[in-house]
Parts: sequence; structure tokens; C-alpha cells
Amino acid sequence: MRKTLLITASTLSILGIIFTILPLGTIAIIPNLLAIIMAFIVLKKSDAKQKTAPKIILLVSTLAFLTVIGKDIFVKDVVVVDKQFNLQKEESKQEAQKDLEGL
Amino acid sequence: MKKTIIILFLSISYVYSFAQIAQNEKLVYAASYNMSGLMTQLAQVTLQTEPVKTSNKFYLRLSAEITTYSKWDTFFKIRDLYESYVNPTNLKPSLYRRSINEGGYTKTEKYIYLADGKTIKSTSRKKNRAEINSTFTINSSSQDVISMAYKIRTIDFTNYKVGQVKTCTIVFDEKEFPVSIKYMGKETVSAGNLGSKECYCVSISAKTDKLKGKDKNLIWLTADSKKIPVLVKFSIKIGTGQVSLSNASGI
Repeated sequence: MRKTLLITASTLSILGIIFTILPLGTIAIIPNLLAIIMAFIVLKKSDAKQKTAPKIILLVSTLAFLTVIGKDIFVKDVVVVDKQFNLQKEESKQEAQKDLEGL
Repeated sequence: MKKTIIILFLSISYVYSFAQIAQNEKLVYAASYNMSGLMTQLAQVTLQTEPVKTSNKFYLRLSAEITTYSKWDTFFKIRDLYESYVNPTNLKPSLYRRSINEGGYTKTEKYIYLADGKTIKSTSRKKNRAEINSTFTINSSSQDVISMAYKIRTIDFTNYKVGQVKTCTIVFDEKEFPVSIKYMGKETVSAGNLGSKECYCVSISAKTDKLKGKDKNLIWLTADSKKIPVLVKFSIKIGTGQVSLSNASGI
């Protein structure tokens, strides 16, 4: 039981880290939170010598969880100024003007 | 994303009345996709109008830009530009241009509407392919997705009954397909910097495999003379999402 929970917690923790890195927003909360809960249960079920692995998972998942929350609160969704796209828009307008003159 | 865009622009009308579209209007939206019940913002959609003058005519340039938020640019960058040059009075298009760049896939498309109103001269080009020129005929009332997106705003919903349907035809990817607009009633929704607004809710359905579900593709338009689209909810094969107004100016 402990081993199964530990493997599941590890998998969820890795998934949580990947989701945290990817721009998936608050969806990354789910694997991280589940990893925290499972790691906590494993920690409670472990002997003194077996506590290292769940402690690492707990720490990593908690950090990832806080990162997701922090990103959601402090990082705003922005669109960067794309010079190439702006140039493309201007060119498109000029070409359209030529086409319209021909109509 | 293409499907999202189609749905956004399937806001269609067939009623020819005087346009209530302001020149130099700018509407900015946030497009989100539903991932496991949580909405994740993907891109910014900007709808803009601008007067254009040629040596002998006036046009209204209707444009739509879709740009992914910077956090997505590394993974899947989208830079789409749709333009329609229309008669400012009846929103009848004369020129339609589309330039898409979605995760490296590019396509450009141009429709020139010939004077008979039933013929389109098309030029298209996909990434690493040769340019294709063709001419095809359409129903005289068919319009491109952009001009149709604005046309819906000329529909007078005040006398519409709940469930009343209007049908029309749009041209997309050189194909025509019929679209139904069903009036669903009035609702109050959040409209970005405009605050809460009473809106007309309409359901869009099309004979295409792109849209899914019955009355699951909805658009809310402010229940006033401007009929600003404030919210679009869509349901497609791969999930659901929404496009919500964040800022409106020049209206």
C-alpha cells in the first residue's frame, strides 16, 4: 500500500512539475495537490528510515503548487509586441489598397 | 484554434439594414479553452474597424487578429489576421484577406468579390505549396466570416421570439455552408470594461463537423443599438471554450 502510494505520488509530482512549467494555468494545481496529499499519507505511514522520499515529494510538489498560485496571481497574460506581425499587417493593408483600387 | 475562430465569426445575419458599426471601433477579447473544468487563457482576439478610402470609393476595413499570449508563444505561436473590406452601408464585402500562422503552419487566402456579387476570384497559398488561383460562384447573399461577424449586429432582435431561427450562408475555405442563428432570449452577462450588460443570447449552428452539440455554441450581444458581442461560448470536437470581451473602445 505504501509503495503504491509512493509511486503514484512520485508520478503525480513529476506531472505537476511538467504542468507547472507548461503554460496550462491553474490546471497544474490538480496533480500537485494530489501529490501533496499522497506524499503526506505516505509520510504518516513510513518508518523513521523511510521518510526521505515522501519528504522530497512533499517539498517539490508544495513548491510547484505555490509557483502555480503565484503565477496565477502575479503574472498577467500579455501579448508581446511582434514587429514582424505588425509589418505583415501594414503590408497586407497596402496590398489591399491596391486590390481595392482595381475594383 | 481555427475552429475557435470559425465559431467566433459564425455570428451571422442576413438582414440588410443600415450598419450600426462605428468606424475606429476596437474590441479586445480573451480566448480561453476549458481544460479539465478549468479555463486556461490562450490568446487575445482583437476586432477592429477602420475607414479606407480609395480614389473612387469608401470602404470599411473589418479586421480580426488572433495572437497567443506570450506564455504560449514558445509552445504554439498563433498570429492570425483576417480582414474584410466592406461597403460601410450594407457591409457587403469587396475583398477578404486571411493570413494565418498557427504553430508554424501558414496559409494565406484572398477573395476578390466580382461586380456581379456571385463570383469570387480566389488566391490561396499554403506553407511550402504553390499559389492556387481559382474562381468560384456563390450565393449572392453569402459572405465571408468577418463581414458576417459584424452583420449579426445589424439584426433587430427586439421583435424576435425565443426559438426563432434565421438562416444564412457563409464562405470559408472556398466552400459555402448554411448557418442557423437561433434567438435564445435575454441574459445579463459581464462585459469587460462595459460592466454588466443585458444581452441577447443567440445560438449558432452550422452544417459542419466543426461544431458540436445543440445550442452549445452561443453568442451574447449587448441588448442595445450597438450590439457589441461580449461573450462567445463554443463547443467543438476536442472540447469547449469561450471568448470574452475585456476591453471595448471607439464604440
